[in-house]
Amino acid sequence: MKISKEEFLSLSGIGHEMLNAWIEEEWLIPSGSSPELSFSEIDIARARLIRDLQVDFGVNDEGVGVILNLVDQLYGMRRTLMELRHAARTKSEQG
Amino acid sequence: MKDPYEILGVARTASAADIQKAYRKLAKKLHPDLNPGNAEAEEKFKEIAGAYGLVGDAEKRKRFDSGEIDAAGAERPRQNYYRDYASSEQDHPYTDNSGFADFMDSEDAFAELLRRSAQAQANRRGHDLAYRLPIEFIESIAGANKRLTLPDGGTLDVAIPPGITEGQVLRLRGKGAPGSGKGGFGDALIEVEIKPDRSFTRQGDDIYLELPITLTEAVLGARIKVPTPTGAVTMAVPKGSNTGTTLRLRGKGAPKHAGGYGDQLVKLKVVLPKEPDPELEAFVSNWQGGKTYNPREEVTP
Repeated sequence: MKISKEEFLSLSGIGHEMLNAWIEEEWLIPSGSSPELSFSEIDIARARLIRDLQVDFGVNDEGVGVILNLVDQLYGMRRTLMELRHAARTKSEQG
Repeated sequence: MKDPYEILGVARTASAADIQKAYRKLAKKLHPDLNPGNAEAEEKFKEIAGAYGLVGDAEKRKRFDSGEIDAAGAERPRQNYYRDYASSEQDHPYTDNSGFADFMDSEDAFAELLRRSAQAQANRRGHDLAYRLPIEFIESIAGANKRLTLPDGGTLDVAIPPGITEGQVLRLRGKGAPGSGKGGFGDALIEVEIKPDRSFTRQGDDIYLELPITLTEAVLGARIKVPTPTGAVTMAVPKGSNTGTTLRLRGKGAPKHAGGYGDQLVKLKVVLPKEPDPELEAFVSNWQGGKTYNPREEVTP
């Protein structure tokens, strides 16, 4: 599902300036190029996570960057683990 | 739901700052996105978020303390968390495999597995992209070549096969989003939307048309030109045709799935001249048959 910038702002509940700052920091990576940015559902969920970190938890900008970096590595590992599990299952079904 | 003060582990007399502090301490530990494999964390997080929603808000806390509202229903409706997307099969730009890159460098069987998995991720096929394409009714029967303008300014040439029906989806292989590595492109899925036509309608493989004819053509019969989606044809209107008489043009309908064509059914409609015609009036007032025939005989009053 493709989401325009305006829809994204209303769905994620963040402001214009904040969004630009987050894209600048590469916390969010929308597709397309400015001004025709397009977002997907994962971007909304990620924006909510960043907002939770900043607003609810009081994490500062540096902290958010560090957390996102670790979060991305964590999910990268989880994906690979899932693929390994899938590969192992396929193999045991075949053999 | 339990007592919100108990959930947050604070006294009923705690200050707003203490409540916020207690909430943050728990939320940081239990946020579902920071605990992707822990289902329990999500349940607990919902609980503390609900509790904080109640007593973290001065107004609501006052009403709760005075017994005006209770803790029921304070839980936030479940939103989609980042973890629901981040571990999914779908490709996204946030994946980072650097956390175990060193594991892939060694020579054992596990490293080989990891490398293969990374390769599979690197060579994932692109997404399918869905579009809608409105076409004219005539194009849906006769077929057409259309050009679709994409949101990014590009274009896509689409060959509409004759006889396509509303909602049918055309798949253009390799015209979707680019994949990663050697993954190749996804497909473009084009859903066809047929605009209603002023004259033609379709039922199954047959096409229906209401065609006005003159009184002269109805009474004496005639050879008239009839439009069809694939061009005009000549049709014989038999002598004595009436409004509602339906004539069949064989093979002039939509192409059938199994080969061959449906028919076009032409329903005649006798239309008098727009302006009153003195000659016609004179004839009809002297016409005996017009006075003895009652077309409403079978219509109960």
